[in-house]
Amino acid sequence: MEVTKSELSAPKVSSTEMTNSCDDFTAETGEIIIEEITRNHKLIHRHRLNKNEVSIGRGYQNDIILADPHICPQHLSLKYRQDKWQLIDNNSVNGTRLENSKSVNQGTNQQVINDGDVIVVGKSQLRVVFNSHKVAKTIAFSPFESLIDIIRHPIAVFFSIALFMLIAGNISYLNQPTEINISQLFVSALKMTLVFSIWPASVALVSHLTKNDPRILAQLGISFSFFILLWLSDLLEEIIAFNTVGNSILGSTIGLLPIGLAFSLFWLNSYIGFHVSTKRRMIVAISITTLLFGGSYLIQYSKKPEFNPRPQYNAIIMAPSFLVAPSSNVETFIDSSNALFEQANKAAQKN
Amino acid sequence: MKVFFTLIFILLSSATFAKEQAEEIFAQLTPSLYQIKLIDKASGEKSSIGSGFQISSDGIIATNYHVISSYARHPEKYRIEYLDHQGNMAEVELVSVDVINDLALVKRQVDLKMPYFKLSDKKPIKGEKLFALGNPHDLGMIVVPGTYNGLKKESFNERIHFTGSINSGMSGGPVVNTNENVVGINVATSGNQIGFLVPHDKLVLLFNDYKKQPPNNIKQQMLTQLMASQDKLMTTLLNSTWQSKELASKAIIPIIEVPFIRCWGDSNADKKDALILRAIANCSLNENTYLSSHFFTGTVELDFSYMQAKDLSDNKFYHLYQQQISLASAGNRAGKDDVSEYQCHHDLVRPSSTENTEQSINNKSIFCTRAYKDFPKLFDVLYLGATIDKNQQALVSHFTLAGVNQENAMAFTKKFMEAVSWK
Repeated sequence: MEVTKSELSAPKVSSTEMTNSCDDFTAETGEIIIEEITRNHKLIHRHRLNKNEVSIGRGYQNDIILADPHICPQHLSLKYRQDKWQLIDNNSVNGTRLENSKSVNQGTNQQVINDGDVIVVGKSQLRVVFNSHKVAKTIAFSPFESLIDIIRHPIAVFFSIALFMLIAGNISYLNQPTEINISQLFVSALKMTLVFSIWPASVALVSHLTKNDPRILAQLGISFSFFILLWLSDLLEEIIAFNTVGNSILGSTIGLLPIGLAFSLFWLNSYIGFHVSTKRRMIVAISITTLLFGGSYLIQYSKKPEFNPRPQYNAIIMAPSFLVAPSSNVETFIDSSNALFEQANKAAQKN
Repeated sequence: MKVFFTLIFILLSSATFAKEQAEEIFAQLTPSLYQIKLIDKASGEKSSIGSGFQISSDGIIATNYHVISSYARHPEKYRIEYLDHQGNMAEVELVSVDVINDLALVKRQVDLKMPYFKLSDKKPIKGEKLFALGNPHDLGMIVVPGTYNGLKKESFNERIHFTGSINSGMSGGPVVNTNENVVGINVATSGNQIGFLVPHDKLVLLFNDYKKQPPNNIKQQMLTQLMASQDKLMTTLLNSTWQSKELASKAIIPIIEVPFIRCWGDSNADKKDALILRAIANCSLNENTYLSSHFFTGTVELDFSYMQAKDLSDNKFYHLYQQQISLASAGNRAGKDDVSEYQCHHDLVRPSSTENTEQSINNKSIFCTRAYKDFPKLFDVLYLGATIDKNQQALVSHFTLAGVNQENAMAFTKKFMEAVSWK
């Protein structure tokens, strides 16, 4: 009896009334949300229907029209009966399957659909949710958001790339043992910039391919800002190595700075480009950082000869304007050098 | 015309005389001449060859240390054999070495008393005719006439300058005078009839020491000799005058006034397109001590280079300057089995002797040392000082010492560091 009643009442209820009405109405009239999703459960299209019967198939008379050639013209229908939605397969060629449920054989029985169930028809997938479906908590804007807003501004991106080019030009100027002119410097700086923009471009490409927003400007801005920071940390490391004696703790601590910076860069790349959980983002950023630094360490380690006849020493010297540390005298130097003989003796006895 | 004929006659007759003498010497001495071979035990083949000569009736044969060095370093891997003029072969025993003068004594078994070479009791005179004997390139025993030309100039360890061909394989062979007495031992050549011999008195000394007290451990004997030699060399260097000399009129560098340290200089003043003007002075000891084919010691090297930027920013000048100092290497050859890896230390150093003067100099100083594995308390050291107090000028002071003890190394380092300054 109830079923007939709701079937009759359904056409009378307009959608606007529906949204305004209360819970007892939904009990009477069927409201269903059907999402077309990819195999990776990425949303393609979403339909909200206020009907007691929904037909799905390839034919144009259907409520939801799917172009998949493996689907029949009148493949299946969903019916609202006794407060429950049921799935009815209309003798389709390839059948209908309710995920986490038994296969529905052609023309046999009807199945009850629960909130969040996925219907597999042909090679397509449909997810059914009801309006009572619980959604995840709202994520508050992280403080990065405002930072990213500044960095992704076209002017900011332009400035960070320009600064990067300036640094790249300066590096090639310093390394060139012969005379060099401005255009040569510009070309080498441009080359370097192009090479370094491969990273943000590929991150944006991957996020585009995975149906995320590419946000290329934000990626460029954040990457180049971090490339500049990495160069600054190199400079800082060099200044410290120049101003400290022996193998100082400060010198080795500062060596961790680029690792931290690289991790932050990868984390932000993922934050901008992909909607993933915090845990997953952390894992991805840690993995890329480990791969990069661990890999380069492994390469260095494997290249290390068993015996090096050349002395390995800190030869970093910088212009006097970078010198802040005081100098010691010859006696102190001789005293500390004396300790090396014992070390050398130990090294000689080792094998 | 008459004079000409006379001259030709004299030349001919002396040539004939020399030839006859060489024949006679060769015939008489050949039973006491040997080829010395080092046989690799595993393969059973010879790994090096040289010559040797008997100096006593009971079978003591003298040769060069470098002929048998592989055995002295690794006695378990090799054995020493002699080959006499009749083709007899037998094993000999290493009994004593003089690693500094490149001499070694080996002993063969003898049943009867044998003829042997007598060691001369006086030095030859310049121009005296001498005959070098030996087996060059395994071609058979030969005799080479030549001339005594005094001791090699400017050498720390004495060597006779012999004008005559000495070839490899003749090493360890004797050089005799017309009285058939040994005056030297073939040791090296620098081609074009320039040969070098170890003076016979070194052999006399080694042989007498052996007769008094044969060494019971060759390695220990080598260590004692190396220690004494480095001490003699370093004491001489430290007690000689260190003359202050200008480099490019900008810097003051020390030149050690001993004849055996020789200096050379160069600059790139002729290169118009060079970004940095560079003047270098290099002083070194022109000899070293052979321990094995991959291990030399006893070297001394001092290097100075002055650099001045031409139209460069300070940062670029220092960047290029850093590339100049980052590749210092050892002054001597040594391998994994001979030495440890270098241990290094660096600091910023301003010698107080120059402080508050115009000569004041501030260096980044680097000191490295490696220890010898088989000769405890001997080290190779390396020092590098790079100035960091002038924007557009730099002075690099660098030295390497091989096979010295800690005390001498540090005394030298201290003296060196205090002797370098700006002008």
